[in-house]
Amino acid sequence: MSEKHVDESKEAAEVIASRRDFLKYVCTSGAAALVAAPGPAEAAVEAANPDADVTVAEFFQGHFVLMSDAEKKAAIARLEKRYTAKYGKKTTVSDKEAPDGVLFGYALDISKCIGCRRCVHACVEENNQSRNGTVIQWIQVMKIPRGNVSFSADELDKGYPEQSRFGNYGVQVGGNAYHPAGLSTEGAQSYYQDETVPDKDFFYMPVQCQQCEKPPCVKACPVRATFRDHAGVVLIDYNWCIGCRMCQLACPYHARRFNWGEPNLPAEDMNPKTHYFGNRPRMKGVMEKCTFCVQRTREGRNPACLEACPVGARKFGNLLDPESDVRKVLATKRVFRFREEFGTYPKFFYYIG
Amino acid sequence: MIAMNEASELKLAWKGFFVATLIFGAAHAAAEPSAAEASKPVTECFESRENYTAVSRTEDAVPQYGYPNIKCSKTTGAVLWYGDPFDGTIPMGEMPEVKDDTHGNFNNAVVKPREPQLAYFNMGPDGCKTCHNGQTVPYPKDRKPRLLSMHQDIVENSLELQHGRGAVWCLDCHSAKNRNKLINRRGEEISFNQPQRICGECHGEKYIDWRAGVHGKRAGSWASHEGKKRWWVCTECHNPHTVQRNRFNPIKPEPAPPLPRGMKSAAHERMHE
Amino acid sequence: MNKAFSFAKDVSTYAIRGGNLYHAWLLMLSFFILVGSYTAYRQLTEGLILIGATDQITLEMFFANFVFTAHVAAAAVLVVAPGYFYHRQDMKELAVIGEIVAMVFVATGIVFILFHMGRPDRLLHMIPGIGFMNFPSSMLVYDTIVLNVYLYLNLIGVLYILYKKYMGTFDSKYLARWFTPIVYLAIAWGPLIHVVTAFVLGSNARVPSWSTAVLPFAFLSMAGASGPSLIVMIFLLARKYTKLQIGDSVINLLTTIIAWSLGLLMLVFAAEFFTVLYSSTEHADSLKFNMFGRNGLNDYVPWFWGTIGTLVGCFVALLFPQVRRSYNRWLPMVCFTVFLAVLVEKPMILVFPAFSPSPLGEYTVYHVTLIEFMNVLFIWAACFLALTLIVKGAIGILTGEVRYHERAAAGILQD
Repeated sequence: MSEKHVDESKEAAEVIASRRDFLKYVCTSGAAALVAAPGPAEAAVEAANPDADVTVAEFFQGHFVLMSDAEKKAAIARLEKRYTAKYGKKTTVSDKEAPDGVLFGYALDISKCIGCRRCVHACVEENNQSRNGTVIQWIQVMKIPRGNVSFSADELDKGYPEQSRFGNYGVQVGGNAYHPAGLSTEGAQSYYQDETVPDKDFFYMPVQCQQCEKPPCVKACPVRATFRDHAGVVLIDYNWCIGCRMCQLACPYHARRFNWGEPNLPAEDMNPKTHYFGNRPRMKGVMEKCTFCVQRTREGRNPACLEACPVGARKFGNLLDPESDVRKVLATKRVFRFREEFGTYPKFFYYIG
Repeated sequence: MIAMNEASELKLAWKGFFVATLIFGAAHAAAEPSAAEASKPVTECFESRENYTAVSRTEDAVPQYGYPNIKCSKTTGAVLWYGDPFDGTIPMGEMPEVKDDTHGNFNNAVVKPREPQLAYFNMGPDGCKTCHNGQTVPYPKDRKPRLLSMHQDIVENSLELQHGRGAVWCLDCHSAKNRNKLINRRGEEISFNQPQRICGECHGEKYIDWRAGVHGKRAGSWASHEGKKRWWVCTECHNPHTVQRNRFNPIKPEPAPPLPRGMKSAAHERMHE
Repeated sequence: MNKAFSFAKDVSTYAIRGGNLYHAWLLMLSFFILVGSYTAYRQLTEGLILIGATDQITLEMFFANFVFTAHVAAAAVLVVAPGYFYHRQDMKELAVIGEIVAMVFVATGIVFILFHMGRPDRLLHMIPGIGFMNFPSSMLVYDTIVLNVYLYLNLIGVLYILYKKYMGTFDSKYLARWFTPIVYLAIAWGPLIHVVTAFVLGSNARVPSWSTAVLPFAFLSMAGASGPSLIVMIFLLARKYTKLQIGDSVINLLTTIIAWSLGLLMLVFAAEFFTVLYSSTEHADSLKFNMFGRNGLNDYVPWFWGTIGTLVGCFVALLFPQVRRSYNRWLPMVCFTVFLAVLVEKPMILVFPAFSPSPLGEYTVYHVTLIEFMNVLFIWAACFLALTLIVKGAIGILTGEVRYHERAAAGILQD
């Protein structure tokens, strides 16, 4: 099986190589410069600068999931070498598989969340996101009005001005109902900069990748760079992504973030324990998102956002294990899924504890 | 626009550094922080809320990855990330068994000891007993509420203890004879490191939730039965002396995400102002 | 082979011949291509950070313009179909111009998509064998396939007709047996690329203003308005400045198509606006944002009313016979306005406002950067340069000015 696979991949490599030569030829003749230009251009940059993002070998690399073990090993060795040189510290890139018999799930208590955004920044520390200038954060915290500020006697006469014979308080004429309140993204604030939290008139709802069982992003990806692993986590092969952003367009949770420019990751802040599908440093022009800290959770440890939460509002665990924290939450609390009407069946639950 | 974001972030970082120095280190406060220092990691941090659990950063706590034990927020000084979630922990100790499905699993449970975090506990060699030894401060005769002449920083007005709505007083939880320990209703002395065993006596529902893993916080392994976990105990988040007045101290949030490229303000978000 | 060489040589020499105005036009386009080459290089090397797109508004000017190119490309069948389906001889002669427009605009659309890509260097990942296509589910895969097929269908059609006419062996009664199916397939394929393009947007349930069944119909009616507008302008210019004979009947048919496509568009808009605004659920939020702004954030408002007003105005204008018959003044002006209004509608009504509110309730306004704008101009300049040259060459062949001469061809061979 594996031998056959190697043969196939050799053939594929030859095909790629011949295609590549052809492209180079076309490129020099200038006709298809647009398609071929970035390849050689980046190769040239690479020659000038050994830390450049795309090596020739990486350029030819296939989809990681379909690679043979030897190819995987080579790809990982390549990355480890490059990251170690670039960030000046020993970097490991894991490709550990998810444990069997596990379906990862998450639960978040919106009655406890105080909107301190520690999860957001813990995630950045753990997952090597771009900082300074091209900031990428995988978690976004919404500040949502509770509704208790929405009602006042002054507004009874607002609304439609007409006097009707039913009086001023007909169904469609009241002015008080015009304020957003409750679990609606209408009126949600994501850029609040309060001195202290929580604000008593609001509640908070952090949103990150919901790890849908029917992920619209996976459906939309034209090259299957994003896929669902057997533990139910939706992952991205950053080296296979073509940057078309169809997944971002499809996601009803605004969970995906794009590397618009070259990511800005200071060497001293870089987390050297990485996973191929998780927190390894990304390149420009590819999508990324929450992976439930695949580099941690596949090794048994909780995600970073959970460990940072000061109020213990976050619960993580194996949905197949009735003894896990998440299953106990699902069993004992009132639970809902965000945007359930999209039929995406997230494995991220919100609950009222 | 990007430059502006950087500037504001930098400003916030400076501010945070200032706050951190003011609160945590007299030595730090004396020295004017230079630009190089500002980019240095914050070393004196707190978990949960300020003054609840102080932690300091040690470099290379996990040599395998060159991890420090913790990474803290440059703006607030809060612990954001654990290189080693078990740093400074001890076994949770004996836990009473509860005979139903909510028993909880404490085989590999560790906690951060509370005793080192208590200001008065650490004032003398014998802990609280340094003063509360029956002689320097005589043992109280009964458990009737009275006005305290000390410890107003913990309980402002002891006749109006903000816990239990008048039904509870200090000596219902603190041992009268051995101030280094708490005491439960059956008169068993309990360590300050195991406050859950006191709190759970009254707050049974929360206690059951906590044992089950539904309430409170855990770090470390996500697996339900195997794997080491650090459990946060009640008093790492709740201050039992002020719960009625102030369930939680409000905290300073981490900085907001930068506005989308091209946007100048998020004023349109605020519908009520 | 020398026949093909002389074909290429004769057509291209004819195509670049022309008056001062013609050369000024070509020069202007070349200027934008020159500037655009620099900005395109910047974008390809530094990444999409140079354009205005954000995680909140992830589709940029390129994608909006791509949708517009699909409009025009699909609408070219409206010139081809009357000739082949209704056997209108006046249109059949000119069908090749429609196919050229389709070909050039589909190619332009593909270039826009290349500029939209974050990693254009990895496009090979989509080619089966090297990579793979997420075939049954990804709408972008369908779009890639139909666009490329449409490009080649039209390319074959154009080359076949022009070459045959160039050789003087063209007889519309004895077309090659394989050719007619290709033309009919191309006619059917035009609306298809458009519906699929509408599905690329409409498949995103999270964007309520796209996730509506009227979207393909809005697209098709806008196609019917914008594509023939361009072709009417080309025909009017051609019959004024070249020897190509184009009857008023052709212009009149296309004008009628434009008018009633706009009429249909009004209906589609009205249906959508009514459905959304009457119940005023969350599906109306982005339309309301587009129409009235929100809490002081009203950058899109003038664009919305301006564009809708212009389209309505053009529709009303085209109802007057005086306007429709004013071949040298009002008609080209109205056609130009329709073309421009549909082009502006794409980013300012269809694409950008649809992203507000985001799934998390964020309202964002898109800010086009200079580099992005120059890149858009670059692609349009290249598109119109190609269109001008190919149409000009085709006109040379259609009028018989460019013809195969055996002696001249032999001359080439000797060189």
